[in-house]
Amino acid sequence: MEYFLNQLVNGLSQGAIYALMAIGYSVIVGVVGMVTFTYGEIMMIGAFGAYYVFQFVGVNLPLALLAAFASSFVLGIIVYKLCYERFFNAPRHISLLCTIGFSMLIKNLVQIVFGPEAKPVLNIIDNRTFSIPLGGAVSIDLKLLQIVIMALVVVLAVTLTLFFNRTKSGVALRAVSQNKEAAYLMGINVKRTAMLGNCIGCGFGGIAGILLAIYYYTISTTTWGGFSMKAFSASVLGGLVDLRMSALGGLFIGIIENLGITISSATFRDMFAFGFLILMLVIRPQGFASKKGSRV
Amino acid sequence: MSKVRALFEKYQALFYVLILAVLCAVPFLLPKALYVRYACNILMYATLAGSLNIINGYSGQTCLGQAGFFAIGAYTMAALSTNFGVSFWLLLPLSGLLAALVGLLVSLPTLKLKGIYLSIVTLGASEIIRIIAQTWTPVTGGAMGIKQIPYPQLFGLDTFRPKYYYFIFLFIGVVFLFVTKRVLASRVGRSWIAIREDEIAAKSLGVQTSFYKSLNFMYGAFWAGVVGCAYAPFVNYIEASQFTTDTGFNVLAMIVIGGQGTLIGPIVGSTIVTLLTESLRFLESWRYVIYAVLIIAMMWLRPQGIAGASNSILAGGKIKRKPAAAGGKGGASHG
Amino acid sequence: MAERKTTLLEAKGVCMYFGGLKAVEEVDMQIKQGDIFGIIGPNGAGKTTFFNVCTGIYPPTKGKIFFEGQDITGVSPEKAAQLRIARTFQNLQLFKFMTVLDNVKIGCHIKTKSNLLDAIVHTKQYKQDEEYTTEKSLDILRSIGLHEYRDAKAGNLSYGMQRKVEIARALALDPKILLLDEPAAGMNPQETKSLMEFIKMLNQDGYTIAVIEHDMKFVMNSCNHILVLNFGKKIFEGSPDQVKVNQEVQSAYFGRGLVAGEALK
Repeated sequence: MEYFLNQLVNGLSQGAIYALMAIGYSVIVGVVGMVTFTYGEIMMIGAFGAYYVFQFVGVNLPLALLAAFASSFVLGIIVYKLCYERFFNAPRHISLLCTIGFSMLIKNLVQIVFGPEAKPVLNIIDNRTFSIPLGGAVSIDLKLLQIVIMALVVVLAVTLTLFFNRTKSGVALRAVSQNKEAAYLMGINVKRTAMLGNCIGCGFGGIAGILLAIYYYTISTTTWGGFSMKAFSASVLGGLVDLRMSALGGLFIGIIENLGITISSATFRDMFAFGFLILMLVIRPQGFASKKGSRV
Repeated sequence: MSKVRALFEKYQALFYVLILAVLCAVPFLLPKALYVRYACNILMYATLAGSLNIINGYSGQTCLGQAGFFAIGAYTMAALSTNFGVSFWLLLPLSGLLAALVGLLVSLPTLKLKGIYLSIVTLGASEIIRIIAQTWTPVTGGAMGIKQIPYPQLFGLDTFRPKYYYFIFLFIGVVFLFVTKRVLASRVGRSWIAIREDEIAAKSLGVQTSFYKSLNFMYGAFWAGVVGCAYAPFVNYIEASQFTTDTGFNVLAMIVIGGQGTLIGPIVGSTIVTLLTESLRFLESWRYVIYAVLIIAMMWLRPQGIAGASNSILAGGKIKRKPAAAGGKGGASHG
Repeated sequence: MAERKTTLLEAKGVCMYFGGLKAVEEVDMQIKQGDIFGIIGPNGAGKTTFFNVCTGIYPPTKGKIFFEGQDITGVSPEKAAQLRIARTFQNLQLFKFMTVLDNVKIGCHIKTKSNLLDAIVHTKQYKQDEEYTTEKSLDILRSIGLHEYRDAKAGNLSYGMQRKVEIARALALDPKILLLDEPAAGMNPQETKSLMEFIKMLNQDGYTIAVIEHDMKFVMNSCNHILVLNFGKKIFEGSPDQVKVNQEVQSAYFGRGLVAGEALK
């Protein structure tokens, strides 16, 4: 029971990071209208951006997060120019393959530039654990790290929502995501707005990247494809373009994974995520969202 | 040009025999065993890429999980031959059929899905197959993999030498091309292509698109399984890490570069990619960078690939007279 | 008026709603054997939607569709085609990159039945099918006057010719009924005229035809029975002469107060 509850907490905090990944992913898919396979590498670059802040400036979490956001944001511009802008009217598989190519490019460049070995990310957040008794002998352990992550994700999600609802660019982004042609007729610069949306989505991916690195105490150069898949899965669960639902999807996958391994071994972790995704796609392709059909 | 074509058509049979003769001579002409190994790889990947091309290039479903079908073939062969000593030549079709069965299972949930959802399901399925291979120790050897896979019998030749193993790959490749060429020139192949070009129109002409899409998946998976079966003894040792999504992307890159929607495309792709990655070995990781740039460049300049079907929607849909209307291929609008 | 024969395609109280939008509401229709049946109505009247319901692209929200007395409500488009209900599309859904001949060949799909194995070993079935397909396709192209363009890419032809390819493709099904969705759209008057003659000729050959068209001259001169839709509802049905003088049709088309006789000339 105690193990189960602790796994639930683990699932929640990991799910929070997945939620952030999924939000970023959904912003990209919503605004650009095309899916990306580069998301894992975008997260990795964000993580590296923050890593070098830790290396050269010291442990400064806000600055690191900013660096993560900025480096992924900049990468987002390149991705947009290379993989999307040209292919708005082309068959979908073309930009898809383009992002696969770009993902290979970044993965290998990173291994060349930063070296193939994983980088340790240690002691960023105090390794303190709060034990919360639940009556009887049962108690759950809550790490400070987990609290910080969950709080951060909530703050970021709220900020993004405010941005979308209260600012002019935010509203333009929403317009573009709903109907490019109508937005264009309303005088919105669709291409630039789409690029901005892509970059913001990437930036959130970058932050999720460094959070993952902090959570696992390491930045690897190879495991990001799996996270990209999870971001995609979460976002599919949310109907691909609905931010709140995607976040919910992320939480859900985090919990499923961590509860799943309580009944089997940890090697099956990914299988639960993918299996659940496929099941979900078969039963309810529109995800948690109520609206049927989607743009992709 | 048309003269060349006419000449080609007149002596078509002769031409093919000539090519086959040259291909048969290749392992004896190459000076080093290593080069013969490369030739084996080219043939193997050409067929594997060809099997993916059946799905991506002919029915327009973007499958990203060919590594999974490949793995099914390889593990079927390895497990049955090491445990029960089943003959390679029996396992060849068996591996294919098993892969086709998995192909059917994968295709069923994808029938109602379009584009990216379909791609993701195939990718997820391929990962699940890999994870099973990694954990189902009694059958797949788990993380240890399966070692010492017996070499196939071939007229008493030493098939552990690439020089002779080459002929197994050649045989599979030729049969694949022969059979596929026939299928494509039939009602089945036409239906696949019709689905690729315009699914709604195909439906309205009575093509049971679900059936043909599943059949297409099974056919592609079948050949991936067959190639997997031949791959296992060739490398003598298989483990789950040989069948990652990157393996799938690698095959995908071959058809992207070589060309989709033609039979020659995957052969060109396999040759280019294999030669490139082998000859640029001294560049270490940089060769993958070059490789990645090549993929992106291809998408920009020639999305159907070097030898791909220019006369298809794969080429980027540029034939359009009307500017792409809102909704694009959505079709049936209510007027 | 000639005696009306057996009913081929029948719609009974067909409704099609998209959310709150009532695209088609309570439409009844009877297409008889041998008809050239016109469906007219202003833009957005629900004509194409009605067609889509009849050919199985959408299942109707309410109502029933019968074909030769058999209930075909909600069947798939494939099934509808197998029952030999052929159609063309308003916005042209040709296989643009395929040759004209190949386009028509795909239309022969339901008339043939060779499978994967037949194709691999070239069985008798396969040979028969291929022969049938090629012969049939060439015949149709000849009769529609596209024979010399058989090897051209369908997407490269002129708009009018593309429409013809679509009709040729539908004819390959050997249809019992042919539903044409705005076949004359984008054609010049010359082409329209020849199309009209072609459709009449097909009709004489025994094809039953339903046609959605905007070109009044086209409809009035070729159809023997006309259904008028407006805002998803049937507002009138009758012969061309009756339609010409009907008040409601005129007001739907031209607003009230205009002398329709002049406009409809």
